[in-house]
Amino acid sequence: MLELKNVSGGYGKRTIVSGVSAELAGGEITSIIGANGCGKSTLLMMCAGLLSVSSGAVLLGGEDISALPRNALAKRISYLGQIKNAGSISVRSLVSHGRFPYLGYPRRYSPEDQDKISEAMQLAGVEDISDRMVSELSGGQQQRAYIAMMLAQDTDVVLLDEPLTYLDIIHQLGLMELAVKLKSMGKAIIMVMHDLNLALTYSDRIAVMKDGRLIGFDTPENIAAGETLQSALGVKAAYCADAGQYFFSMNTD
Amino acid sequence: MKMNRALSLPRLSVCFAVLIVSVAVGICAGAVWVSPAELLSDALTDGLSQNERVIIYIRLPRISASILAGAALAVSGAIIQAVLGNPLAAPNIIGVNAGAGFFTVLCISLFPAAVSLLPAAAFFGALTAVLLVFGIARKTGASRMTIILTGVGVSSLMNAAADTVTTLFPDSLIGMAAFKAGGVSGVTFDSLFPACIFIAVGIAAALLLSHDLDILSLGDNTARSLGMNVGAVRFALLAAAAMLSGAAVSFAGLVGFVGLVVPHIARKIARSSENTAVLPVCAIIGGAFLTLCDTLARTLFSPYELPLGIVVSYIGVPFFIWLLIKKKGGRRSA
Repeated sequence: MLELKNVSGGYGKRTIVSGVSAELAGGEITSIIGANGCGKSTLLMMCAGLLSVSSGAVLLGGEDISALPRNALAKRISYLGQIKNAGSISVRSLVSHGRFPYLGYPRRYSPEDQDKISEAMQLAGVEDISDRMVSELSGGQQQRAYIAMMLAQDTDVVLLDEPLTYLDIIHQLGLMELAVKLKSMGKAIIMVMHDLNLALTYSDRIAVMKDGRLIGFDTPENIAAGETLQSALGVKAAYCADAGQYFFSMNTD
Repeated sequence: MKMNRALSLPRLSVCFAVLIVSVAVGICAGAVWVSPAELLSDALTDGLSQNERVIIYIRLPRISASILAGAALAVSGAIIQAVLGNPLAAPNIIGVNAGAGFFTVLCISLFPAAVSLLPAAAFFGALTAVLLVFGIARKTGASRMTIILTGVGVSSLMNAAADTVTTLFPDSLIGMAAFKAGGVSGVTFDSLFPACIFIAVGIAAALLLSHDLDILSLGDNTARSLGMNVGAVRFALLAAAAMLSGAAVSFAGLVGFVGLVVPHIARKIARSSENTAVLPVCAIIGGAFLTLCDTLARTLFSPYELPLGIVVSYIGVPFFIWLLIKKKGGRRSA
């Protein structure tokens, strides 16, 4: 659904991401992993069309996203960054803002918009806090409110930059289950992840980055068995079938 | 439909009631107190009484001017605070009023007869200042502090430029002191008319763009990923803010503080920072606030009159400080 063709780019003259090619399919969760500063977030912003590529192209259903009008793009790709600065607005209002790409002038919500908003709040589990102010919520609640906004945007491609930040373990798992639910709806979920365990457990595909390059793009099983984890993060993974999860050890050899 | 409205009808009605009361007080109070009963009996008799003349030719134009200027500066302040993501920003602080003031003085010096040009000149001055601040702040990373510091710099520059003009064209000095202190004495309906159009257009544009301003307040990346053309919307909003400040400054001079303090009060009243609710409240409360201040300015030490800007500062600053002390948390929002 989203295809990266030899994508390079960065900020100003500084190249951060170089020569990344990958195909990200609908109905799959892809996690981008790698050390701090390796270009994960930059790559995600390029996928969202928020940062233009210096060479190569990001294709959405075969179309170059840089050629799509921003409004059309917003109906197909949603993006949740790390920086969030909603002030004293209610959760309901924040979630409603997810419908912005669909609004004409004057900015009125249609019954369909209202349905999508309610549905999104329900999926993200923020109905009971819908009248609270976003600025007064805990980090985890804020995160879920933003996720609900993205869900209201109702796009085929969902990009999340470290969505588990601020979430306690139960909400981390809840978010991963939500991602699974979204993928079953045929959406392509792409997220930058720091938690390797959850990344390997829930993802269909893992993209391993090192120094701006994609050094591995494979299933979690193959990534865990291969060399790229060691190269990118300096750890080895071992799968424990009894526990149903991975364990990591420092690469000491 | 209703579910997304932050502003309830009762709250809006209270705002309107405050405005109506301040207008009523403004009509009755002054060097001569005209009670509502007197006013009614005068209105029912033929011909214009002394009181009616005072009200029609002096008080009503002043009240209209203070409503217009207060509404314009408050809405302009709210827009600037939201666009720059900075609760400390306001037209008088980031040099927008100073820019308008500079161009106004320049226009008075170069084209003394062209009074109707003043709002347009003030608009371009305000726009120059706001774009300068925004452009420089962008280059330097646009942190909250740089925006304020840049604004203070631009403000000084614009004031220096205005002083240069008054030095080179001493004729324009007449009225300059009054202009700097700010005030709406001596306005007539005729002199108000061009600015009135600018303000009407500015407020209409601000209200039409208030939803977009809410999206913009979520941050550049979020706004863009929601499909907004951030550059164009931000420019349109800053232009509207400049139009409002410029028009207000062109006839009311440098009335500071309204643009800083009223948006904060409006957010308290609206109980949110959603601009769809905050902007209308700003317009109404801003008008009421400046009308009350002007009524005080002309009655407190009657027959002497205090400059409006001074009264605004005496009332606005303590209130603002009280707000700051009382408020905890909600950093960006209130």
